[in-house]
Amino acid sequence: MSKSENKLGGSCLKVGDDINSDVIIPGRYLISIDPVELAKHAFEPLGEEFQKKLKTTKVIVAGRNFGCGSAREQAASCLIGGGVQVVVAESFARVFYRNAINTGLTIVESPEAVKAVKDGDELYVDTQAGTLETGGKTYSFPPYPESLQHILRAGGLIPYVAEKIKQEQSK
Amino acid sequence: MTLIEAILARASGRETVKPGDVVVANVDRMIMHDLSGYVTSKVFDEKVGLPIANPDRIVMVFDHLFSPPSETEAEVLQADRAWARKHGINLLDCGNGNIHNAVVHNGFIGPGMVVVGSDSHTPVHGAMGAFAVALGNDSHAGTVLPYSKAWFKVPETIRIDLHGTLQPGTTPRDVALWLVSQIGEGGAIYKAIELGGPLVEEMSLFDRWLLTLITVDLGAKCGYVDPDEKVFKFAREHNAMQAWDEMEVSPVSERKYEKRLEFDVSDLAPQVACSPTVGNVKTVDKVAGTTIQYAELGGHAGGRIEDLRVAAEVFKGKRVHPEVCLNIVPSSRVAFAQALEEGIVAQLHEAGAMWFPPSTGSNQAVNMGAMAAGDAMISTHSRNFPSRNGSIDAAMYLASSHTVSASAIAGCITDIREVL
Repeated sequence: MSKSENKLGGSCLKVGDDINSDVIIPGRYLISIDPVELAKHAFEPLGEEFQKKLKTTKVIVAGRNFGCGSAREQAASCLIGGGVQVVVAESFARVFYRNAINTGLTIVESPEAVKAVKDGDELYVDTQAGTLETGGKTYSFPPYPESLQHILRAGGLIPYVAEKIKQEQSK
Repeated sequence: MTLIEAILARASGRETVKPGDVVVANVDRMIMHDLSGYVTSKVFDEKVGLPIANPDRIVMVFDHLFSPPSETEAEVLQADRAWARKHGINLLDCGNGNIHNAVVHNGFIGPGMVVVGSDSHTPVHGAMGAFAVALGNDSHAGTVLPYSKAWFKVPETIRIDLHGTLQPGTTPRDVALWLVSQIGEGGAIYKAIELGGPLVEEMSLFDRWLLTLITVDLGAKCGYVDPDEKVFKFAREHNAMQAWDEMEVSPVSERKYEKRLEFDVSDLAPQVACSPTVGNVKTVDKVAGTTIQYAELGGHAGGRIEDLRVAAEVFKGKRVHPEVCLNIVPSSRVAFAQALEEGIVAQLHEAGAMWFPPSTGSNQAVNMGAMAAGDAMISTHSRNFPSRNGSIDAAMYLASSHTVSASAIAGCITDIREVL
């Protein structure tokens, strides 16, 4: 795999601390599992102006404890459905972290980068190298453990388990 | 090893585990409610398509919907029922109570178990001495349903010791809310929180429950209390001791903690968590006098028989304020039956309260509990994020059943200590 293929990112949109899952995807839409359908309602409580900006956003940049609240997986999948490739935050709520990996959404903890970025800035991450580039600067973060990289590369937990079982059966 | 480390060692077939280890553990119980269950079943059927390994370990509880308000919701329950029957899992249909209370009272949770659930408050079951963690649908559909397994990173543990004697009017619920203000939302991300000390030891199982319930709002992976005779007695009566093997749990003095916190809560005043977050906790005097249109005893942290008894006591000779709707939502059929027997149902009915079926009540306003802009509710619920109960401009205050009852009588948020 060439280095450029590991790079994800683009235009940033910033949110604050403790953004909970009711803000990311309100509970009334939870009967859907279609990421594209869910994306229409992503961040609805933040208003239409915010949602309009979200359409051209590749990177959500958040403060601490992003994704706290309910355990809903749709908080991660609605972002994928809306074209978001990466979430960079000072820290993540535990269930959001797990759900992001399981659904194949790349997330990075980098308090320094969060401080440096403004709305509309470009930001790119390389998960294998553990680097994040924005505003001409490079920040590093600890690369994901090997096991989690495998899950992300497969596109999430379910495709990963399916692949693994297939490999074992063909042995 | 702590209780959690010992459970994870047992469940992953290892002699020992330590914080940071990633283990694949056998799951003893998986719980879902009607809405998360609907999503998990769709993901499982569409993306996995295998049989369920141990359907007897899986429980679905209809608690958000207790009587479908429209065709769409009726279709959700219809699909859930068909899926539950197809796979032979346990189903507790409408009217069985709040998911967590219903599974405990039906004997599905016991000490030593690995419990997973798609409701974020699943860690409440740590009060039973279980390792109880919230997972998402893909973990459930991808590994728990087909293989009865899930991956876990063994968490670091924070020990919290609680000391002192609570003042009249201050309850374990107030202690729980106060802890969120002390440790902070997200103040214990990924950690296990071990609760102990003299005050916790004195508490009943279902008062400890209020403490483990809020550990998720601290960001924790799980919270727990080492099970004692009170827990074992309940578990034996509910035939839920099967996971309690001879586990190698070390004495507290030999356990390794990331940190230890000690609190004396003898001077603690009643607490209220104010919109917009569970961490926005104030002493009741700071918000006393705020007008409310709704009050509710129900949800994960209310509607227990203990809460209904408190309401009966506070309401003696008093009525619900004419401009307040007081919703009472028993958390289980057991709680409702007990309230009937003790005359509490009739008393509170005559005082002007509305009884709802055992369910999760106004949680997320799925079946009840929506508010208009400018409305306010005080409740025993667990979350108060804006737009969770109707308008984004409605306010939800979280408090104890004492404070909720006193406020429903006065028509505004009230310091219970002034009416005791």
